[in-house]
Amino acid sequence: MKNSISRRSLLGRLSAVVAGVVAAPVAKAAKTVTQKLLVSADAPKDYDPTKHEWVMALDANRCIGCGLCAEACKRENHVPEGPYFRTWVERYIITKPKPGSGAARGETLVDSPNGGINGYPEAPVPKEEIQHSFFVPKLCNLCKHSPCTQACPVGATFDAPDGAVLIDPTYCIGCGFCIQACPYGCRFLSPVTKTAEKCTLCYHRITRGLKPACVEVCPTQARIFGDLKNAKPDDPILQFYQNNLVEALKPHLGTEPRVYYAGIDKEVR
Amino acid sequence: MRRLFTMPPQLFRIVLLAVGIVVAYSVARFFLTPASFGEYGWYRGAALAELATRQRVYAGKQACEECHSDQYQKVVQHEHKSLSCEACHGPGEAHVENPDNPDVKMAVLHYSLCLRCHEANPSRPKWHKQIVSKNHYPGKCTDCHLPHSPAEAP
Repeated sequence: MKNSISRRSLLGRLSAVVAGVVAAPVAKAAKTVTQKLLVSADAPKDYDPTKHEWVMALDANRCIGCGLCAEACKRENHVPEGPYFRTWVERYIITKPKPGSGAARGETLVDSPNGGINGYPEAPVPKEEIQHSFFVPKLCNLCKHSPCTQACPVGATFDAPDGAVLIDPTYCIGCGFCIQACPYGCRFLSPVTKTAEKCTLCYHRITRGLKPACVEVCPTQARIFGDLKNAKPDDPILQFYQNNLVEALKPHLGTEPRVYYAGIDKEVR
Repeated sequence: MRRLFTMPPQLFRIVLLAVGIVVAYSVARFFLTPASFGEYGWYRGAALAELATRQRVYAGKQACEECHSDQYQKVVQHEHKSLSCEACHGPGEAHVENPDNPDVKMAVLHYSLCLRCHEANPSRPKWHKQIVSKNHYPGKCTDCHLPHSPAEAP
């Protein structure tokens, strides 16, 4: 049987394959360089997302409901006016049970007018009828198994290697699936950008060694922010876990939030 | 020249079309997928750097300390030590960038700012110092309290 491929054509084909193998990585490298030139002129140079594990902890025993955090968040992140919040403070009022009703506690009333920025109206029940009342700051729970990421059809929202759950605004198509998927109500569709928005842990601040704006202005250290991969033993975040019995919101959903709370009641969702 | 297998011409065209589609898809995918896609996971890795380029509004209290260390030292030695400067004075990054520009002003302070934290409220924790403002004193807070060292009178 005579070989049907001539020496000339074999060499020609082989050189084409080699050229393709060489050209593909070169083209890919050129593309990477071009994209880096385009996007990250002002980005922090020495920040490696794989070397951090950012978490936030919230101590309801220390929250005084001043709303400075929610206000600072709106300003820092240019959150639109109106009912749009990346973080907000809820007031919980649990009333005493009616005498002889056989109940341990009465109703649970929750409100957060304008996220708590302008304070709270007079309690809807007289002071004598309140069994417990407290403030709970809310934000993205930084789930390890985030339902919003699973729901996103275009890969626009993702779990960053440093623990933040972020949205790529150039990929988001504004379909709103993530907003429905979030069990904590931490996302909204921005009327300005028409994309989903949420707490980024002030990614532009933490990558430069600053605290998120809400943590910066909190007057009572009810919000504690830290980096678990680089925490020294006396770091406030480790002190928080050591000094408190902590819990996460809606643990039965299996989302495994990285945000832990201290001093909250079972009524907090 | 003897061929092992002779492809019928109609099949040849279909195979050629299929190969063309696959090649066109691969080429399009190569050039349309951002370079950083898949760098950390199933998303555009460069989005992390992009999100980090936003301009900040709050400067952080270390920036305040650089110029106003006298006031800073006073605050950290008194009851308001846990407060950040910008909690009351408002966001300061614009002032930090342009400290000599008189048009860049910090927030105007008002007594409602004191009451924002210290007005009595049954929802506030008991350890926190609270007053009923209308029973406490009719005048201004600063008549009796220096904000940077609240236990001291002016």
